[in-house]
Amino acid sequence: MNDLYLYGITALLPLTACILVFQVNPYHALVIRGIFGAIAALVYAVLGAADVSLTEALVGTMLAITLYAVAVRSSLVMRLGVLKDDVAFSSSSSSETMAESQAVHPDSPTTFRRLLAELNNQLSQHYLRLELVPYPDQDALRQALMTKEIHATCVGCDRSEAKISERKELAEVTQDSQVDEAYYHTETRIQPLYEMMQVEGLSSVSRVTYVSVSEQEEVH
Amino acid sequence: MQQQIMSDIFSYGCISIGILFWFWGTLPLIGHRSVLFKLHGLSVADTLGSMSIILGLLLKIPSEYPLLILAIISLAIWNTVLGYVLAYCSSRGKVSHE
Amino acid sequence: MNIVLGMMLLALLIPIYEAWQDDDIWQKLLAFASIATKTSIMILVVAVLRDDWMIGVVGVIILSVGNAALMLLAQLIKRMNDAATNYE
Repeated sequence: MNDLYLYGITALLPLTACILVFQVNPYHALVIRGIFGAIAALVYAVLGAADVSLTEALVGTMLAITLYAVAVRSSLVMRLGVLKDDVAFSSSSSSETMAESQAVHPDSPTTFRRLLAELNNQLSQHYLRLELVPYPDQDALRQALMTKEIHATCVGCDRSEAKISERKELAEVTQDSQVDEAYYHTETRIQPLYEMMQVEGLSSVSRVTYVSVSEQEEVH
Repeated sequence: MQQQIMSDIFSYGCISIGILFWFWGTLPLIGHRSVLFKLHGLSVADTLGSMSIILGLLLKIPSEYPLLILAIISLAIWNTVLGYVLAYCSSRGKVSHE
Repeated sequence: MNIVLGMMLLALLIPIYEAWQDDDIWQKLLAFASIATKTSIMILVVAVLRDDWMIGVVGVIILSVGNAALMLLAQLIKRMNDAATNYE
């Protein structure tokens, strides 16, 4: 009867373990793992195992969380190869107009930006991160995709300045997303990524194709 | 005897004040306020409440004073630094988001 | 002292509930910070209650070192959020 609080404290451990198991987002799970570690250290200390408690707090919570955080961050990423000109174009045009254009209508900036936002939105539903890898020309891009340096490539079909403004005007007048269709061409070598990109918002900006690189690998 | 009762009253008073602080600071955690508002209440409650609890323990059992004083010092330093770091990280994320 | 520990347990349940029901990662991290402090204070209370120096030393070490992991995690999540908002 004197140690009634022991039961209460011990009951916290399965409770937090259940919360930890039912987490879907890996980053949320990391935070809950920290809570679980703190509770576990408390339970071990209260039950009299001071050494186990100290090990749980230092190794189980601190070291494990740090290592898992690094692992999750570096593995849950989609590397998208793009041309250098596209990146420069999107960042220079966005810097001055981003404030107003996002306030008035958030999805009217350049098509490339819209594509990236759309892709990022789609990826974040699967807890993935988007990383842009710039390449100097098409050949280098192709080579990088074949050697599995990147997961997908994204290139514009026609990147002349006049065409862009013409297309944008046309799109605004007709209010039709069909004009933009196949303006960008995204290629991926990973089947789940390909299925992930088959959505309404993304396919109106870019054409998505799946390439298989397995036969190229046999040559090496 | 008189002294014993007095110190008991003081120590239990300190501990109950600390637990009251804990509840006062932790209850706003439930609800849809901003992170900074919750952080403010939480850092006040966790630092002052915990210090008050440890002070109560110190009055109750004075023989473990080196341990408890070390706990008070590390609590005061680390909770302040942690509050600052959390506020910095979360507010930076918010500003670039909006 | 039994009542004191019972009240502390109740106070500890609030951030656990918060970490379970809130979807924002910063709120979860806040709950984590609260739980980390509360558990180490509880370890200290139990140590003083039993007059056990060994557990007391562990409690103080957890109290002073446990926060470092939290700061690391906060910095990392901030970096990730910054990277994610670059494209919006």
